[in-house]
Amino acid sequence: MPTGSDLIAIDFVNVSKRFTLEEGRTLREFIPALLKGKAWSEPFYALRDVSFRIRKGESVGIVGRNGSGKSTTLKLIAGVMAPSEGEVHVHGRVSPLIELGAGFHPDLTGRENVYLNASILGMSGSAIRAKFDDIVDFAELWEFMDTPVKRYSSGMYMRLGFSVAVHSDPDILLVDEVLAVGDALFSEKCLAKIREFQDRGVTIVIVSHSPETVKNFCGRAILLNHGRLLEAESPESVIQRYRELVHREEATVGALSS
Amino acid sequence: MRQSIRVAGRDHIGTALGIPDFIISLANLWHRRELLWNMTVRHLRGQYKQSILGYAWALVMPLSQMIIMTFVFSTIIRVQSPGAPFALFLFVGLLPWNFFSTSLSAGTDSVVGASSLVTKVYFPREILPAAAIFTKVVDLLFASLILVALMAYYGHAPTETAVWVPLLFLIQFLFTLGLTLPLAALNLFFHDVRYLVGVALTLWFYVTPIIYPIDIVPEKYQTFFDLNPLSLFINAYRRVLLQDESPDFGKMFLGLAISVATLLIGYYLFKKMEPGFADRI
Repeated sequence: MPTGSDLIAIDFVNVSKRFTLEEGRTLREFIPALLKGKAWSEPFYALRDVSFRIRKGESVGIVGRNGSGKSTTLKLIAGVMAPSEGEVHVHGRVSPLIELGAGFHPDLTGRENVYLNASILGMSGSAIRAKFDDIVDFAELWEFMDTPVKRYSSGMYMRLGFSVAVHSDPDILLVDEVLAVGDALFSEKCLAKIREFQDRGVTIVIVSHSPETVKNFCGRAILLNHGRLLEAESPESVIQRYRELVHREEATVGALSS
Repeated sequence: MRQSIRVAGRDHIGTALGIPDFIISLANLWHRRELLWNMTVRHLRGQYKQSILGYAWALVMPLSQMIIMTFVFSTIIRVQSPGAPFALFLFVGLLPWNFFSTSLSAGTDSVVGASSLVTKVYFPREILPAAAIFTKVVDLLFASLILVALMAYYGHAPTETAVWVPLLFLIQFLFTLGLTLPLAALNLFFHDVRYLVGVALTLWFYVTPIIYPIDIVPEKYQTFFDLNPLSLFINAYRRVLLQDESPDFGKMFLGLAISVATLLIGYYLFKKMEPGFADRI
């Protein structure tokens, strides 16, 4: 497809993601189900026929209620999951700011974890050595580099995780509600870093419940509801529609409970 | 085609030439050697942390097995050990067996054990079982110190045929990795797999000539033993280290063929199941 595939960072083509709910994880449950010839668990669609494109350098917010398929979308972009139907194309190196420090080993020191986590994100040894000082500077954790991370406070843990992720030189940055990392000062620093990425032309996908974040950072927003894409427009109109959606559902719940 | 395109470039050339995807990923592993190394270090650091003996535990297991088994099988039941005292004969079989069995157990659990990572960030998942096995290589190197001590104690210096050991180990390594890969993947789908591996290893131990020499196996069962790669490996180690002979090349190539086939099939199956990993955790 020569039509500007160079310009597209993320392309979802009719993507559905099906999960099986009650999973039979032992052979005792699997074999009888197989013999009876029935599906051994009920399917559930986290995403249904979702298509959208994100251009290189674009910042896009993904908005939706809990269970709307936001996290599944991020996982598909991150390559952690494969779509059940449709195609997901991702061009460039992805760095997920999803649950920072997921790869940290509690017994290892800060230094060792920087190396481990950076190599998980795809950095080479020489790149890690070159960026190491920047990573520690940004996290402001010089005195704790030889301390096992299990002694870290949760704020320190997140700061180190964030710092490694943003120094991994991503083409695409996935941000999932982590803008409030540590104290207000550090939070400012993170936002500044994300702005810097935007200026450098890094593609950014932000999942957020906060309309402010989406309005401040994103040129476009995508609204998901029960796994379906409702709208992919300007942040203002998407947030407006999102609010209506929430109000309507609250009204329904209110009517049912009264 | 529903697989997403991750890294443009090299991969497409390989695909265009008709090279199967899983062979390309095998070659691409070289680019992630840093990660493999860091994961191995992570396992090693974590393994005996907060234990008083620390890494000495890697010696305790084989040493105690050797002492008890030698007592049982050379003092109580008098098993013949051609070419060397029983303790030495046993240990040359026990070391590669322990490497195999601990690798298989740890490797089978490696992907399930890293579930928090697997659901969050993509990296080639085969790094996990591979790192688990590399950790056991380090254990094996440590435990080899006991072998050196035993050889010195019995005055049995290895001859030049010992140069075959690294090659034999490489073949054994390929087999171990090849068998571990699909088990690690299947273990995500059915947690029965880890228990099955435990049972299989216990039985496998007895049908492999570790506590007895292959020579006492009746003729009509020899073919069966030749199809057991562990039997081929252990007999070869004994030949080159204790009997000071070159390996039986026919059997070595048979072992190599089984190992390479196991690795290719195992890796193929692993890559086939890989896209579903995060769904199953």
